[in-house]
Amino acid sequence: MSIAPARPIRIGGRIRTAWKARSRQERLVYQLLLPVFGTVFVLATIPFVLAIIRAVTSDSRGFVGFENFARALSNPLLYEAIKQTAIYAAIALPIEILGGLGIALLVHRTIRSNILRAAIYIAAMIPIVIPQIAVGVVFRLVYLPDYGILNVLLGQTGPNQPLWLSSPPLAMIATASVDIWQWTPFVYLVMFAGFQTVPSESVEAAQVDGATTWTQFRHIELPYLRPLLLLVLFFRIADVIRVFDHVYILTGGGPGTTTEFLSLYIYRIGFQFSDLPQASALAVMVMVAMTVFYTVVSRFLPADRG
Amino acid sequence: MHRSRRFTKVATALLLSVIAFVFAFPLFYLIATSLKTKADLFAPVPSLFPPDPTFAPYASVLVTRGFGGLLLNSIIVGLSATIIAICVAFAICYPITRLPASPRLRAFVLNWALSLRFLPPVAVVIPYFAVIQTIGLYNQLPALILVYTIFNLPLAIWMLRGFLDEIPIEIEEAALVDGASRWYAFRTILLPLSRTGILAVVIIVFAFDWAEFLFAFILTATPQAMTFPVGVQGLVTQFEIIWNDMAAGGVIAILVPLSLMLIARRHVMTGLTFGVIREK
Repeated sequence: MSIAPARPIRIGGRIRTAWKARSRQERLVYQLLLPVFGTVFVLATIPFVLAIIRAVTSDSRGFVGFENFARALSNPLLYEAIKQTAIYAAIALPIEILGGLGIALLVHRTIRSNILRAAIYIAAMIPIVIPQIAVGVVFRLVYLPDYGILNVLLGQTGPNQPLWLSSPPLAMIATASVDIWQWTPFVYLVMFAGFQTVPSESVEAAQVDGATTWTQFRHIELPYLRPLLLLVLFFRIADVIRVFDHVYILTGGGPGTTTEFLSLYIYRIGFQFSDLPQASALAVMVMVAMTVFYTVVSRFLPADRG
Repeated sequence: MHRSRRFTKVATALLLSVIAFVFAFPLFYLIATSLKTKADLFAPVPSLFPPDPTFAPYASVLVTRGFGGLLLNSIIVGLSATIIAICVAFAICYPITRLPASPRLRAFVLNWALSLRFLPPVAVVIPYFAVIQTIGLYNQLPALILVYTIFNLPLAIWMLRGFLDEIPIEIEEAALVDGASRWYAFRTILLPLSRTGILAVVIIVFAFDWAEFLFAFILTATPQAMTFPVGVQGLVTQFEIIWNDMAAGGVIAILVPLSLMLIARRHVMTGLTFGVIREK
């Protein structure tokens, strides 16, 4: 298909053929996009619709209105799960973000060798690309009683050794520490990339003016990092809601329900108690909440939005 | 002055070494455990270096326990889902990057894709579970291929769109003006130019498919369709005491994405941040 005007005889005709060519291209956009994108859109939206249908119906009684939502919301364990998830996030996210930022600042300021920087880049990638299940295995070998290396290194292998995976406050710390181990490097990588975007002229100007390390960070570099910090925060919040694999392997949500985070809770309602209507109501609420969350945060994301 | 700078340097190096040690040590212990014999496991104090290292746990996992089959399932599902995803992503990215699509349409497609990333898998899998049971795909590889394709598509779309945006449109336009068909221009100009990008997307999407656990855990029941991570989970909960096999399973699960990511290392951050961070 050629976009050259077919009969460039009169001015009016040329404009008309140009317009026709343009509209033909725009038609092509929809002709190409609609079948594929439409199919994918439907396939990805189906679960949402089905979850709603499932949540407002019962196998024996048909339409039941908001009964399943009411049941889901009146379960005290839901609030327990939300609380545990919040505690997990409150432990892991600040350490990940401040730790990652701090290491990035340290490496950016003190390491000049490109080879060393590249080596740290690759090393930092390793925890991130490890499957969550394998991370769970890694940390079972760290936290297990008797065989776990942590207690061995601490010299605590007797009957009174700390039970990292099966005593309440420790299990929370153990599961959150895994998150920190896996995702601090991610924050580091994002922040380190952020430091490279700070124009060196501004930094040099500040240094000529005698800015201290802190003022240079606070007033020159931090403004460049702020959008990335927001991005990291949003991604990490979304990820905390998804946390499942490594906790399932490490504690299974226990002891009791002390590490039963939101995803594990929904899983248990749906697949261990086989209460799919209630789980569907929870799924709908989580999907709505995350969609709202996404709509709000997407305004702040630094990506060019199309 | 000089002295204090040297002190800072040493202190920094020390601090970074400690951090590196904390991060590396758990992985080291995993590898060490995966090389231990059964007898080593019952030593009163677990050793850091296996006294007589052996690959027997790997053979035990892959052959005796039949995890070789699960590995094959993971590869089949991962490859199929990745190939379908890259084709679909191309069909979606081509019109929004190479044709005069309206900015609103472009933003809608990209935003919709990114919003999928924010949905927790557990919320998505509950309704899919019912559908997949109804249409008879429960415990079948095609069910996993379908779900993996859809939920890694956003990543494929965002990465590919970034790569396509970097290829100047003028070369294709020149060919079109010379009378080439759009298909010909796509095949002989755009496709070869985006080869690196396609490879990066394929590698990263495959690594994500490979690592996926929850969908496979819920949508499969027997080794016929189970993927490798589901098998590893089974090792942990059922054979608690056999740590060397469990560790070997973990090492195998890690090796595949790790080696892939090392190949595509320049694009990993782009993938993980949906193109917000671009490595040069």
